[in-house]
Amino acid sequence: MSLITRNVFRTLVQGSQHVSKGLHTSAVNADKNVCFAPFSMSSLQTSKEGRIKCTLIPGDGVGPELVYSVQEVFKAASIPVDFEPFFFSEVNPTLSAPLEDVVGSIARNKICIKGILATPDFSHTGELQTLNMKLRNALDLYANVVHVKSLPNVKSRHHDVDCIIIREQTEGEYSALEHESVPGVVECLKIITAAKSERIAKFAFDYAVKMRRRKVTAVHKANIMKLGDGLFLRSCEEMAKLYPRIEFEKMIVDNCTMQMVSNPNQFDVMVTPNLYGNIVDNLASGLVGGAGVVAGASYSADCAVFEQGARHVFSGAVGKNIANPTAMLLCSANLLAHVNLHSYSKMIKNAINKVLADGKVRTKDLGGQSTTLDFTHAVIHSLDHHQ
Amino acid sequence: MAVRLLSKIKLLPELRGAAYLSAAAAPAELSDFEVQHKTPVIRKQKLIPVAQYGGRHAVTMLPGGGIGPECMGYVRDIFKYIGAPVDFELVDIDANVDNDDDVQYAITTIKRNGVGIKGNIETKSEAAYVTSRNVALRNELDMYAYVLNCKSYPGVTTRHKDIDIVIIRQNTEGEYAMLEHESVRGVIESMKVVTASNSERVARFAFEFAKRNGRKKVTTVHKANIMKLSDGLFLETSRRMAQEYPEIEHNDMIIDNCCMQLVAKPHQFDVMLMTNLYGSIVSNVVCGLLGGAGLLSGRNYGDHYAVFEPGTRNTGTAIAGKNIANPIAMINASVDMLEHLGHHFHAGLIRRAVEKTINVDRVLTPDVGGTASSTEVVNSILGNIGRR
Repeated sequence: MSLITRNVFRTLVQGSQHVSKGLHTSAVNADKNVCFAPFSMSSLQTSKEGRIKCTLIPGDGVGPELVYSVQEVFKAASIPVDFEPFFFSEVNPTLSAPLEDVVGSIARNKICIKGILATPDFSHTGELQTLNMKLRNALDLYANVVHVKSLPNVKSRHHDVDCIIIREQTEGEYSALEHESVPGVVECLKIITAAKSERIAKFAFDYAVKMRRRKVTAVHKANIMKLGDGLFLRSCEEMAKLYPRIEFEKMIVDNCTMQMVSNPNQFDVMVTPNLYGNIVDNLASGLVGGAGVVAGASYSADCAVFEQGARHVFSGAVGKNIANPTAMLLCSANLLAHVNLHSYSKMIKNAINKVLADGKVRTKDLGGQSTTLDFTHAVIHSLDHHQ
Repeated sequence: MAVRLLSKIKLLPELRGAAYLSAAAAPAELSDFEVQHKTPVIRKQKLIPVAQYGGRHAVTMLPGGGIGPECMGYVRDIFKYIGAPVDFELVDIDANVDNDDDVQYAITTIKRNGVGIKGNIETKSEAAYVTSRNVALRNELDMYAYVLNCKSYPGVTTRHKDIDIVIIRQNTEGEYAMLEHESVRGVIESMKVVTASNSERVARFAFEFAKRNGRKKVTTVHKANIMKLSDGLFLETSRRMAQEYPEIEHNDMIIDNCCMQLVAKPHQFDVMLMTNLYGSIVSNVVCGLLGGAGLLSGRNYGDHYAVFEPGTRNTGTAIAGKNIANPIAMINASVDMLEHLGHHFHAGLIRRAVEKTINVDRVLTPDVGGTASSTEVVNSILGNIGRR
């Protein structure tokens, strides 16, 4: 079976090889190769025969540059994915596509790749929900997964970090319920519900099963928020009973962050409520090289949105061609694996690893002087079509 | 419990809103899987969130003994080839151990995934306290209805052509109650338990099934002339249910006569409804008529769970590892599973390829009169996928 797949793939790829060598021509004759996954994508929206449609949100800051890098790599590898781009931004509301259009597109295509959306610290309209939150709530993208993994030849204090952080992202502190009850007194509501806590706990355990992980750690602050976080913790404990072969432990969030920076290798899969997840995500990303190298994804029952793990727009680098596209490329590779295009996914991942391991082409955040474009081209040249 | 559930739903308007929104954006038609998990029914068990993430389903896979593991291998090959959005969670059950740990774990995984596909699990232990694993699985998950879709393949030579029967069998009680005792030395009593509630559930299932699939007739099979109370209750219940479905014809037949009619004039049957042991016998009779154990697939349904398996529940230990086992039954079971989950496109791809392999190309294993090996059949199916 694997032989058949490999041979089919090989012949197709050989046909397209001359294209990848002359890659800047950008007119890639992808139509020739449509038949690699001719029947794989039914429930996914297919445009031409065997090609997959994917919603694309470049986002703010360096997002468009990173997305361009992904598109270049996809073209060079002749990957049968067509993008449906939407400009979607909170800081530029006049140009932004309406929320309904974007939501409709993602619901139709089931998959999306997304840059980071900038979120201002103040609200002109008095509305408390950010665009990100609206998108998540509309699609019910309740689970955010960030896989923090040490990459080869990326200098960091810890080695062999490999943990998965799963975060509930539709309730908790992000419920956008704040009010000033008396002048000078602001109350912010943190909502925890049993249904959503059970759902995220089940997601975490199922993800652990799928990834063959051994341990799930629930991060909480139930010693202070005895009712809210207590409910979350109890839901996790309840769910853990259904997974007798996965170890379950709980850790208070402050201790967790300390453990994370001193001994991150003890963690496997972590499940957290909304805000703690955000903090732990960013902290863990910092351990392995920063926002530019960590991929993440958000899942609902039907859709998957792939985005960077640590959400920074990096607006200081806009137009300077210095942002690191590694995270976005890893996202795209994860997306391909999600839609069963495993060989393409591996091809991209191997290319990234090879470029990083060689260490000749590094962007500024990893201590080099190369540009975003240099890195992208290095990845394209490392694509091994013969796998 | 139901009241608590309803109040929970009321408390979560944003949850409902989100569900409606995504439902509105997605195709409106609900799969059987979604019907099981989204419709508000009175639940006996605690609600466990559904294992569906980003459009992919998690499914428990129990290869079982005998030819199970190799057949599951073929299913995985085919799923990989067509890219079916299903992630299997493999659970092996050791047939030789005397404890129920593995089985309990398997049951737990089905509970959290909602759906399973299984081969036949062997129970080698003779100890009285070790119950049959297959029965334990069905009882624990409360899968009260078993459906066997018996449709002839024109490519398989049999005595009768164009048979199309659906057998629906009560799956959790009756003779399989596993209650036996020796009241006096040398006298053993085995209890057959028939309850009104279970009879009603399976009867309703049968008539609903007939209605939804455009079937015309339901035949209740029984032995109420001898077991006037137990089988009488089953028969009475199905007669009562039939009155609620006036558009579907209902008749009944005694099991011994039924078997004779089946081998003589099988075309008179449409949907058949029966208790546990009769179901076991009749499904084997019909499978025999259609070409043996290797073709048909069966489905176990409960209120919350569904498990798919080869139709006749034979382990096939004798032919394991010889590359001659017929993989069609397990592949059909996987097609049923895809349909249940709502992946009709992928299910159709495999079904059409299987039909082409059997009826047009006639690549068959020895048990149905061919000469091909298992792998040749699978390769033929793979080659036929997507081809008209």
